[in-house]
Amino acid sequence: MAHQQQQKPRRPDLRGRKCDFCEKQTQHMDWKDYPLLKTHVDYFGNVRRRFLSGTCLQHQKMLRLAIERARFMGMLAYRK
Amino acid sequence: MNPAATDTPEVLDEADVRIYEVAVLLPYPMAQKEEHQTIKEIEAIFKEAGAREVSKDVWGQRGLAYEIKGSSEGNFIVYHQEMDPGKIREIDTALRIVPGVLRHIIVKPPKGYKITKYSETYKVWLKERESASEKSKREREEDIQKRIADKAKRQVKREKTAKAEAPVEAVDKEELGKKLDKLISDDSIEI
Repeated sequence: MAHQQQQKPRRPDLRGRKCDFCEKQTQHMDWKDYPLLKTHVDYFGNVRRRFLSGTCLQHQKMLRLAIERARFMGMLAYRK
Repeated sequence: MNPAATDTPEVLDEADVRIYEVAVLLPYPMAQKEEHQTIKEIEAIFKEAGAREVSKDVWGQRGLAYEIKGSSEGNFIVYHQEMDPGKIREIDTALRIVPGVLRHIIVKPPKGYKITKYSETYKVWLKERESASEKSKREREEDIQKRIADKAKRQVKREKTAKAEAPVEAVDKEELGKKLDKLISDDSIEI
């Protein structure tokens, strides 16, 4: 039993996370930046929640707009 | 006001003319003649509107996330045009009519936007991504090998401990056997 408990990874604490975009001081996000957008979209094509990613509201809105544009142009899927 | 800041040319902030980003998606397996014709038509639309081409970026073959008009691969062309904001609607309607254009988008870039050629950055990313996937694969394999080695070690340990406990009985049995043999072979004892 004790051995099994050691193998289980502990859930990370999400409260202390900081916005990655704020740290990089990004002013705008481009819909053409596929590598960036891909990391913020899950397997099913949904935008990752900012509660989990730690993104601030301002940057999350910019990200959403960029992802919507990329979806329209066929770069990202609406739904898998 | 900082005088140095005013000296820097701000092309985007001019009142009657500003830069717009126009992206066009064409189907990828397309005859060269058709492709040339559609590109010509698109550029003619810009000329009519009196736009000045700042940059043109052809991405080439790209897979699409979903099928658009039956094609699963496309060719993106991204233009940056300096033009009158009043003629955007005209261009939008004209691009909608051009045959062979799957999708088009007109974006007003934000202040301080630097024009970057994403066709090049994408290629670099693809190369890096391959190496990243290989790295993760190697790490996974190493992890599996480590687990197997640990398991084998644990098994060996278990066997050793089992042996350490077992010999006491084994020795006893052997000794008993020997003693019995001696007793049986001993002629002095009369039964």
